[in-house]
Amino acid sequence: MLITRFTGDSDSQRFRLRVTIQHEDLLDGNIKMARVNNKKSDRVRKTLFFCVLSLLIVVTVPLVPYAIDAQAVAEKQIKADNVVALPNPAINLWNEVRQRNAITEGSSQVKSVDSGILINKAGEDWRRFRMEILVPYGAFSMAAVLLSLIAFFLLRGKMLLPEARSGKRILRFTLNQRTAHWFIVGLFWLLAITGLILLYGRIILIPLLGAEGFSITATACKDVHNLMGPLFLFAVLAMFLLFVKDNFFTGADLKWLAKGGGMFGGHVSAGRFNAGEKIWFWLLIIFGLSLCISGLILVFSIFGQGREVMALSHMFHGISALLLISVSFGHIYLGTVGMEGTLESMTTGYVDESWAKAHHDLWYEDMAGASETTESADKNSQAGIVASGIANTSHK
Amino acid sequence: MARMKFYCDAERCIECNACITACKNENDIPWGINRRRVVTIRDGEPGERSLSVACMHCSDAPCAAVCPVDCFYTTDDGVVLHDKDICIGCGYCFYACPFGAPQFPSSAAFSSRGKMDKCTFCAGGPEETGSGEEYTKYGSNRLAEGKLPLCAEMCSTKALLAGDANVLSDIYRKRVVNRGASVLNWGVQYKKAGIDS
Amino acid sequence: MFEQFVNGIFWNFALIVFFAGISWRIIAVLRRGKPKDLSVPRNSGISGAIMANIRGFYPRKEIAPRIRMQVIAGYMFHLCLFVLLFFAAPHVTFIAEYITGFSWMPIPYWAFVVASEITFAGLVLLWIHRVLNPVTRLISRRGDHIASILVFIVMLTGCMALAQTSTELRVFHRFTVELLMIYFPFSALMHAIMFVPSRAYTGAWFGRRGVKV
Repeated sequence: MLITRFTGDSDSQRFRLRVTIQHEDLLDGNIKMARVNNKKSDRVRKTLFFCVLSLLIVVTVPLVPYAIDAQAVAEKQIKADNVVALPNPAINLWNEVRQRNAITEGSSQVKSVDSGILINKAGEDWRRFRMEILVPYGAFSMAAVLLSLIAFFLLRGKMLLPEARSGKRILRFTLNQRTAHWFIVGLFWLLAITGLILLYGRIILIPLLGAEGFSITATACKDVHNLMGPLFLFAVLAMFLLFVKDNFFTGADLKWLAKGGGMFGGHVSAGRFNAGEKIWFWLLIIFGLSLCISGLILVFSIFGQGREVMALSHMFHGISALLLISVSFGHIYLGTVGMEGTLESMTTGYVDESWAKAHHDLWYEDMAGASETTESADKNSQAGIVASGIANTSHK
Repeated sequence: MARMKFYCDAERCIECNACITACKNENDIPWGINRRRVVTIRDGEPGERSLSVACMHCSDAPCAAVCPVDCFYTTDDGVVLHDKDICIGCGYCFYACPFGAPQFPSSAAFSSRGKMDKCTFCAGGPEETGSGEEYTKYGSNRLAEGKLPLCAEMCSTKALLAGDANVLSDIYRKRVVNRGASVLNWGVQYKKAGIDS
Repeated sequence: MFEQFVNGIFWNFALIVFFAGISWRIIAVLRRGKPKDLSVPRNSGISGAIMANIRGFYPRKEIAPRIRMQVIAGYMFHLCLFVLLFFAAPHVTFIAEYITGFSWMPIPYWAFVVASEITFAGLVLLWIHRVLNPVTRLISRRGDHIASILVFIVMLTGCMALAQTSTELRVFHRFTVELLMIYFPFSALMHAIMFVPSRAYTGAWFGRRGVKV
């Protein structure tokens, strides 16, 4: 048996130990490993099953009210289809005005966008979506991610490096990549905060600032948001061009995801970017572009877009924004507080060798050109203090 | 308390646009703002009908629900008004309104629409009643003088009715009964009184 | 109250500090004079001064590929800042009312917005680069950062006041402008005026020795 000091200096009060149980220990009967009916593959399967089940529950349960509602709508439709023998002569007029069967545009002396439409049914759909879905679910998703991250941090703590820093540094991000990243960070938060104030300000800020005070804030936020928005398109394109090369999915990513990135099942290999980072990259590109396109439609309202187009664009804009903000909390957590040695990759551009080996070993192999070494007694004795085993020192 | 509503009788509207002219005159509306409009469906065909539509002063106003700065309020009479000093010109009320009532003075790029303007049921706005600011910003306040909106007053065929909802529905009920009777009287098939005749 | 302060006393104070400060700095530089050059001039100093000013506008061939981003972002920032400062409609109105007495044709609204977006992008990119590049991070002093951030704040408040419907936001923008005017003569922002004599001096000094700067 080998007990090695995991982290911490020789004179630090806090450290972790790694106990390596070797084959010889099991032979002489001092340690009994009992793993009855608890094979690793079974545990993996059970974990995956419960994850999928909870995901399904979380997704379907909020949709139940809509299913009930849909049933009521279907019942109404059946009643409407039953034609009375002597119908009201105005039925057809009001059905046409209400646009129940088709979009019918009348004509008007007033020539402006949508002036020929008497009743725009997209308006109420959009109002229901914004006030009853976007506002509560957006807040819920942001709060849920934030609270889970806080809980995770309180329980798990900062994930320290498995080996001490070797002092040898590897370049991970070039100056251009870092500049583009921090540029998009500044823009993202400027747009996110102004956008969130426009969405939630009525609920949170009017009681604090009063109606006039919040009107000034909202005017400022609206103008900053609308002006800086088009810049976000260039930022997203720059991020795409600078980071896309290493962000294509490979087989290693499936393995990484199956093990939850190393959360269950021990170490898992990853290339320059692991599957989680790749997912975040593609989410940013896809939903970032969706934000830009819908934002441009919304902000350039001078091209005759009708209310239906604007309401649809706003829907895409809102969903993409709240999704990206929620997921960004995770990205920020992992990039700053979550792990030791990560933040410096984006500030200085360099990472320590031990960080690279621990988190992106395939990339480290490509960079260092060295083959991966398995943990052996020699390596451990170099890294830290080697304490004698509990069982039989003669084995050492 | 009265609940003020509009009702436009599609059978009577002759598309004369007097309601629009009266509104623009009485409230000194600038060019480009159309508080009220007349929409004609099936123009030129048999079954042509016209409707005059402006703000319908909804009980559960969608404009008020989506406004990010909460600038709408409903008076005791049920008239939906808004405060132009608080309005930020975002346009959400226009997206939500089924009737397209909110109007904006400019259509420049980058969402610089200006302050929203809409039909006020000739009930002015939050400024002091009868003051110059109230007139310049919101138009005349006829309701405070005990009068009804000028569009309905000026309607040449009394197609457009404005006033207390109970009174309006009573007037319209009488009209429907008379129409039903006159249709039968004239020997026209009841089914053929609609727009698809 | 604050509006009166910003439009009245503080504006006058900022104007005085701005012009007096700039004059003081220019006079101080001129008073230092130049050391006597006893060598035989190999070429004209004046042509050296003029050429140095012109050559300062583009990078040297040897280092051009390495500083491409700074040159492009720098021009983005400066050119569009000049355009929006002197040709944006609200600024033209302000200058006509308070300074010149006459106005000129402003650029259309959308051009104002596009110019300000490009200015923002250039400024933010340059400041991020200044912080991330290890060399510039080392040689940047507090004043360099304060200047960038102050200009950014002035532009942001201008952005907020764009709708021109709120006097409070416009007053706030004017207040930050006045702060910038007070800070201007005592900071690196003086390069706006000093770059001409600075390049001229270097160009003339080396031009007399027959060296192209």
